[in-house]
Amino acid sequence: MVETAEVVVVGGGIIGCAVTWQLANLLPAGTRIVLLDRGPIAGGTSGSCMGHLMVTPDDAREYAFTHESVRLWRELQEQQGGFDYNPTGALYLADTDEDAAMFPVLQQQFGACGDHADVLDRKQLRELEPGLAADLPGALFYPGDGVVLPMLACGAMLRAARQANPNVVVRPFTAVVGVDCDARGVSAVRTTPATIATRAVVNCCGVYAPELQRTLGGPPLPIVPRAGNLAITGHHVSPVRTQLLEISYLRFAHGAAKVDPTRTDDPGGHAVNMQPQSHGGCLIGSTRQFRGMDRTLNPALLRRSLQRAQRYAPGLAAAPIVRTWVGLRPYSLDKHPLIGPWPAVPGLWVAAGHEGLGISLAPITGRLLAEMFTGRPTTIDATAWLPARFGA
Amino acid sequence: MSEARVLHAEVGIVGAGPGGLAAAVELVRQGLSVLVLDEGQQPGGQIFRQLPPGAAALPGQEPPSHQAGHGLLAAATEHAVPVHHGATVWNVAPGRLWFEQHGQSWLLCCRHLVLATGAFDRCVPFPGWTLPGVTTAGALQVMVRGYGVVPGRRALVVGSGPLLLPTVATLHQAGVEVVAALEASSRWRALRALPAVLTNAARRREALWYARSLLRAGVRLRWGWTVFACEGDGRVQRAVIGKVDAEGNPRRGSERRLEVDVVGAGFGLVPSIELGQLLGCRTRYDAPRGGHCLEVDGQQGTSVAGVYAVGEACGVGGAEVAMAEGRLAAAAIVAAVRQTPIDAALRTRVAAERRAADAMLRAFAPLPGLHRLATDDTLVCRCEDVPLARARAAAALHGDSLRAIKVGCRAGMGPCQGRICGSSLQALATGRCDVVPDLPVAQVPGKPVRSATIVDAPEPPATA
Repeated sequence: MVETAEVVVVGGGIIGCAVTWQLANLLPAGTRIVLLDRGPIAGGTSGSCMGHLMVTPDDAREYAFTHESVRLWRELQEQQGGFDYNPTGALYLADTDEDAAMFPVLQQQFGACGDHADVLDRKQLRELEPGLAADLPGALFYPGDGVVLPMLACGAMLRAARQANPNVVVRPFTAVVGVDCDARGVSAVRTTPATIATRAVVNCCGVYAPELQRTLGGPPLPIVPRAGNLAITGHHVSPVRTQLLEISYLRFAHGAAKVDPTRTDDPGGHAVNMQPQSHGGCLIGSTRQFRGMDRTLNPALLRRSLQRAQRYAPGLAAAPIVRTWVGLRPYSLDKHPLIGPWPAVPGLWVAAGHEGLGISLAPITGRLLAEMFTGRPTTIDATAWLPARFGA
Repeated sequence: MSEARVLHAEVGIVGAGPGGLAAAVELVRQGLSVLVLDEGQQPGGQIFRQLPPGAAALPGQEPPSHQAGHGLLAAATEHAVPVHHGATVWNVAPGRLWFEQHGQSWLLCCRHLVLATGAFDRCVPFPGWTLPGVTTAGALQVMVRGYGVVPGRRALVVGSGPLLLPTVATLHQAGVEVVAALEASSRWRALRALPAVLTNAARRREALWYARSLLRAGVRLRWGWTVFACEGDGRVQRAVIGKVDAEGNPRRGSERRLEVDVVGAGFGLVPSIELGQLLGCRTRYDAPRGGHCLEVDGQQGTSVAGVYAVGEACGVGGAEVAMAEGRLAAAAIVAAVRQTPIDAALRTRVAAERRAADAMLRAFAPLPGLHRLATDDTLVCRCEDVPLARARAAAALHGDSLRAIKVGCRAGMGPCQGRICGSSLQALATGRCDVVPDLPVAQVPGKPVRSATIVDAPEPPATA
């Protein structure tokens, strides 16, 4: 008997899990949806990243995109839980007057989106986070952000998918050998044990998305890995309780890269991000460096980011670091994710290229893709993220 | 300021147990500059653990093997072997050891490295194994011999392998009544070790001494028995014991209850190989020797030039093996420096000691059925509070590799970094006890150190 599926989702990271979850919600119950990964579920970037749910107020479109996604995260928490969801809000920090001048600017941006954030003075900051250095010139507090543990969230999304549709099949350690096409477009996915006849494939392979796409020809997928060094402390030592990040993060990480992402001599940079964990530990990132698929630790960048973290939270200096590692962000060349059909190959869809916002944006990405897939109007205007912009 | 925290030696040795000390003594005798880094407060490692200065000696005699320990410690003193105690090595590269000592960040630059990192206890989770009063056999030794702590009044000793006997002896010396000693292996399986014991004079003496020490303690060793569960209100008060079959599977219906307030579980050892892994040394899997080990050639050299491994790091073998390998590694380093030949007798000695140790280990190789002791709510990862049911669910959804199980339930990601649960996690979560478990990935820091230690890590001098 030939195995068939309405849709095969390739890539079991947070995006593939979210796409599976939202497809299960929108396709008729009983539709066969298969999720494949050549490794473990959550074994790649989603198993080696931070879990900041971040609302970004750059403009109305970005705000709607991120804000709606964080709302969907809350829904998943209410429905499933089990992934250390913690609505801490976010504290934007600065240690220079120049950076502190960005607080009211960002506050205005939140205001312009119909939301609000509070500028805290020195004293208010001390009250909220007594573990921070006493000489900091205040901070901006935005209450809408949160923290999740992404690898456990993958499992929660798949549980939700299976509850909505018992015909969701999850297959870790199943590699795609090739995608077959006929005159109508995609016709089958060949995997290590079996061939699955299907008319639709969703490429959710993150930093590996171009690799899958290459097997199909057409223009290359414009995604390159951007490495980050991370460190995590032991339990019960985190000097902070709120998701913290330097406000320079917006300049450094959130805007388009200032360097050519394809160059190999990128010295890299950092804007520290500190994330309280459910067991009282603290997760520290986030450095950024383009250097291909190399996942060896960059000790100099890691040191600098720990140094910055200690500068903001001096108590961290004595906290035991139990593990450090490198994760790869899927950076798309225009800094925006690709969500939608890949016109060059009918039946091929893409959901990838979220760089550092993949966790934040996973639920809305899944929702938008499922809406387009089922021919529904999209929750928010998704034109800006259509992969067709890259000339496919 | 950073320069002051950079040290230099021809040979850097990690671990002041029998293997590391034996290598160090030999190298110093040959006139090479050596620095030994050790986490403990005194030399000797776990097996030759010394009482803290000023503590009263334990009553009774020591096993004959400890004579070798005294000899080694005396030689280390005589030759003024430099040992940095309280030193945690957290990162390593060829010729570089970064360590934390007394809250300070240091770098040792050397030309040769000897990894004598020892082993840690293999834990077999069973219901109640996380109750206060239930510890590993190794932890009991540390309590009694390292800190002079009497852990309780009535003890049960369980596990498998030759380390049960010293545990009984130590508890008896400390005045603890040992109510039972349970060896999970069958008597018939253990007989396989007999030729190795009988043909080796030192091991014969050692076995005889321990047989007498059991008599003195009034303890009969029960073969084919183990602990099924520990119970108690806030701490262990009772142990449920029972029979196991030849594969270690519990025989339900054979249970009996014992009133105890201490349970020491010694199910063998797991080689500590993180530093070798960080260096990129090749590893191999050897179940009787404790699992994943560092691969070494006939001169204790690892696959990385200038890096040697001795003792348990290249497979559990005991103090005699470690000392023989330490001396051979030292000779290999001297030979490399001076272009002199290595005394063939050293290699013969290593081979003989390994043969005897391997025979013993095969007789007490980990029994797969013991993984059936844990029930759904038994914690498999005590750092992250992960019960068996959650680890199984993670394997079912995320995949059955070690990495998949970890990301699926966070087991092995806590402060111990999988040292406690790592050897059994995959078998427990997948229910497959007979496959080779994945090699855990080693990450910096090799052992937890302060954030400031990493920030302040000295850079290697440009000229070195």
